[in-house]
Amino acid sequence: MDLPALLPRFRGRLHDPRTATVVGRLLGVAVLVCFVTGVVSHYLQEPPAWLSAHLPTRPVSGYRVTQGLHVISGTAAVPLLLVKLWTVYPRLFAWPPVRSVTHALERLSIAVLVAATLLELFMGLLNTVQWYVWPFSFRQVHWALAWVIIGSLLLHLAVKAPVVLANWRRRPTELREQDIEDEIDRRSLLLGLGTAVGAVTLFTAGQSVTPLKDLALLAPRDPDAGLQGLPVNRTARAAGITEEAVRAWRLHVEGPKPYDLTLDELRAMPQHRVELPIACVEGWSKSAHWEGVRIKDLLARAGLPDGARLRIVSLQRRGGYGVTEMDRPYTRDDLTLLALRLNGEILTPDHGFPARVIAPNRPGVLQTKWVTRLEVLA
Amino acid sequence: MTSTTVVRLLLAIPGLAAIGFGIQQFVVRTHPDVSDARELALWLGGAVVLHDGLLVPTVLLLGLLISRAGRLRPILRGSLLTGGCLTLIALPLLLRPGRPANPTVLPRDYWVSWSVILAATVAVTVAVAWVTRRCRSRRPRPAGR
Repeated sequence: MDLPALLPRFRGRLHDPRTATVVGRLLGVAVLVCFVTGVVSHYLQEPPAWLSAHLPTRPVSGYRVTQGLHVISGTAAVPLLLVKLWTVYPRLFAWPPVRSVTHALERLSIAVLVAATLLELFMGLLNTVQWYVWPFSFRQVHWALAWVIIGSLLLHLAVKAPVVLANWRRRPTELREQDIEDEIDRRSLLLGLGTAVGAVTLFTAGQSVTPLKDLALLAPRDPDAGLQGLPVNRTARAAGITEEAVRAWRLHVEGPKPYDLTLDELRAMPQHRVELPIACVEGWSKSAHWEGVRIKDLLARAGLPDGARLRIVSLQRRGGYGVTEMDRPYTRDDLTLLALRLNGEILTPDHGFPARVIAPNRPGVLQTKWVTRLEVLA
Repeated sequence: MTSTTVVRLLLAIPGLAAIGFGIQQFVVRTHPDVSDARELALWLGGAVVLHDGLLVPTVLLLGLLISRAGRLRPILRGSLLTGGCLTLIALPLLLRPGRPANPTVLPRDYWVSWSVILAATVAVTVAVAWVTRRCRSRRPRPAGR
């Protein structure tokens, strides 16, 4: 069938299945890493009941690594996705637009995959700068779209399996001179793509990969910015922490033998030092030295020698995560502290003075600041 | 069943299940009325329209412009791709309106960062082009080609 005159024609030779397969493979790896680390983050932040009592607290920097990788792989996916879509762009104008029901379904699944992936990366990138321009919940939509993407990617691979297999089975003897020239051009495109991926990674990854921190020119966070050597997400002012509330502060611990402590009494308890990272869901992270009382010791004093499932209540009056839950794997861990000091100094108000939670392998949003009550959950 | 069919089924079945789970999660986790679904459909469509209708045509046009650059074309292509992607990921940092939540969010002057990085990209491009040219002129092409 003749092409309608208005349709664009593409003479570039790299809009071919081989380039699509090679770039698609790289993009697939980035998407898979991003998906798996995203699922890890989701379940650490919001564990279902059956999982909550079994969350691992080791490695202590686990979340730092997975969430750092989540944002790094998502950023690296930007050049990969754009080149992949550029390669297959001419197929958008396939004529006739629909050949059969199967063909229509295939095109629909690709439309879903492309739209969801473009929006997912866009939302993720904007979330790292705390810019919310869409009218729906970032977290819920980012989570739902991730499953739609991974599902339609599997479906896409199922549809394209014969093309991919044909590309793998192609024998070198079938190469013509034109193919060799294409291969040289393809390699140079891949070299350019590799440079782009390397550059966006190099200039952003330093917000979580400490050795690269001086190169993090395009990262939304500088690990060295912030009082006491640590960046902050929510300040005391933003959380609605008042001077009166801090002056009247007591730590209340529930249990068979409930009790209240003043800050001085808390300081008189055995103090422990740990080195643990703050790892934010937005991708930045930094390791720090913390000093304070073990949650385990506080619970033992209340008559709970084997830890407990806790509801942690903050003085915080504004914003989310003022009340969080912490299950046994964390509450009986030696490294989980109610920290009073950070990097050798008393916590500043923005870091959670008088006392904050710090636990191993735990998302930053759950490291509750300005803690005033530890309630025991059944 | 051929082995290809088996592979295709093993990919398609979990694929459909994951899509179904994603849709179910969207339904149970967002507003029960249709406003979120309508908005999301709008944003998904918008992403495709902007990409397919604006970004790719611009890239194709640039590709056409550098297609006459001969041996320099691969270097220019890599350079434009790198500079373009760096600019894309810098845009949220540069354009975000309003003051960040606190001084540790977006602590840098990103216009300076972006300018420095683009200048470095141009410098590397010139250097690579120069080195490639020198290597080519020193090493004569093999006879018969």
